[in-house]
This record gives sequence, structure tokens and C-alpha cells, in this order.
Amino acid sequence: MTSACEATTRALPGAAVIELSGEVDGSAAAVLTAAYERAVEASPENHDTVVLDFAAVDYINSTGIALIVSVLAKARAERRKVVASGLSPHYREIFDITRLSDFIELFPDLDRAVSQLTHPAA
Amino acid sequence: MTQVAPRRLDTFTLPSEPGNERLALARVAGTVKDLGLSDARLERLKTAVAEATMNAIEHGNGNRPEIPVEVEVTQDGDEIIVAISDQGGHPDTGEHEDPDLVKKLDGDQSPRGWGLFLIRNMVDAMDISTDGQRHTIWLTMRTGGAAHDERM
Repeated sequence: MTSACEATTRALPGAAVIELSGEVDGSAAAVLTAAYERAVEASPENHDTVVLDFAAVDYINSTGIALIVSVLAKARAERRKVVASGLSPHYREIFDITRLSDFIELFPDLDRAVSQLTHPAA
Repeated sequence: MTQVAPRRLDTFTLPSEPGNERLALARVAGTVKDLGLSDARLERLKTAVAEATMNAIEHGNGNRPEIPVEVEVTQDGDEIIVAISDQGGHPDTGEHEDPDLVKKLDGDQSPRGWGLFLIRNMVDAMDISTDGQRHTIWLTMRTGGAAHDERM
């Protein structure tokens, strides 16, 4: 009934996208860290923003929240912005309660995040 | 006026192995699914059950599979009460202060330490009892309650 976290990355103009699936818990540490490094190293000059897409994530627990905090801290130290997409209403609430949403802009889905990031005036 | 006695809906144990909190949340969700909780409040209860069970497995029973985590689900009027017990006495979850995201981002606080904070914010009431050996966390969720819905 559990599914390990997996991450795929892709580069867009101005943004690196990390699409997560499965469970974001303590066991996701290596996957998430490696995905972040892979995403920003692919083309660092173009990746001022990192998009974390949670549309295929079915579970996030407190250790997963800690991982997201660590990614956000690293990105901020490197002057990168982090946005998130695809969170369910429940996990949006958790992002609000933990104040992650004060630092991570939330988009309903990846298409709208990408559209906003690549065509900010639209 | 007739008082209805609390009704035990389910009781079960789990080996203290990391990941078994998913079994607890699935079983509790199945037990309470027809009791009138909204979808949002059911999701909150599931998260609280998972976090409390994780604490019991890790901090209470030290990830020792031979020591079970005990879960009991009771209905008392319009309250659903989930009791999760371990044998760790008074476990140290490492949560000595409320999590502060700014401190965490600045490296002044560990990124971890969200468990009890999440539990408190997910349910209508959280109580903890310990008798030196047995440690129990009580999670109470009212069916139809709206206290936490105001955030949505």
C-alpha cells in the first residue's frame, strides 16, 4: 500500500520542474535532494525558480515536511524561488499551518505554475 | 435524558516498524468512514493518526517490532476518539519548542519537529497520558465539528 517517492526533472525557460510521485516521507530524502541538484545543475543560469509538483503525491508526513523545509532553505541560500503545484486541499492546508505557503507560492496545477512563470504578464 | 455509553469501534495492534503508520491511518479511516466526518476532517484525522503512530513507533517503542503500538477507536456521542499507546513511558520526540519556520530556514532550528504541532492543529482535542511505562495520546474529532474548517 506504500509507494516510494520518485522524481523526474525537466528544464523550462526560467524554471526547473521537479515532478514528484508516491510518498514524501523520510525515505524520500535522497530522491528529493538528488532531484533538486539535478534540476538546478542542468542549466543553472535559467533556473531562478524551482517548481515542486505534488500532483501525483498521495502522502506527505512530518518528515516529508522537514525535507521540503530543507529544500526551501537550500534554494533560498542560492537565491532561488520555490513554488509548488498540484497540492490537494488537505496538503494546501498543511502548507498554510506550517507557514510554508508564506515562502512557497502555491499553484493549483503545474500548467498554471509554468504559464505564470514563463509568461508572468499574462 | 438517556446517556449513550461510549462505543468501542475497533482495537488493534501494529508492530513498531517504520511505515506502519500507513496501516493505522488506513484502518482508522475505514472504521470511521460512515460516521459523518467531512472529507476535510477525515483527512485531518488521518494525518493526526499517522503522526501519532509514527511517534509511538519511533520515539515510544524505539522501532522495535516486537513491541506493539495499540490503537483503539471509540465513539462517544458526536466525538470520535482514537487512542494510540506505546510502551515508551514519556518519549522524547525532540519537539522541545514549537516549530518556527523562519528559524528552521535560518538554520536556528532543526528542519524536523513538526509531528506534535501537526497533530494539535489537525484534531479538535489532543490529550496525552502516561503512567511511567504506558504512554497514550488521545485524538478527539467531533463529527460535524467546524472549529478547524474556519481555516479553509
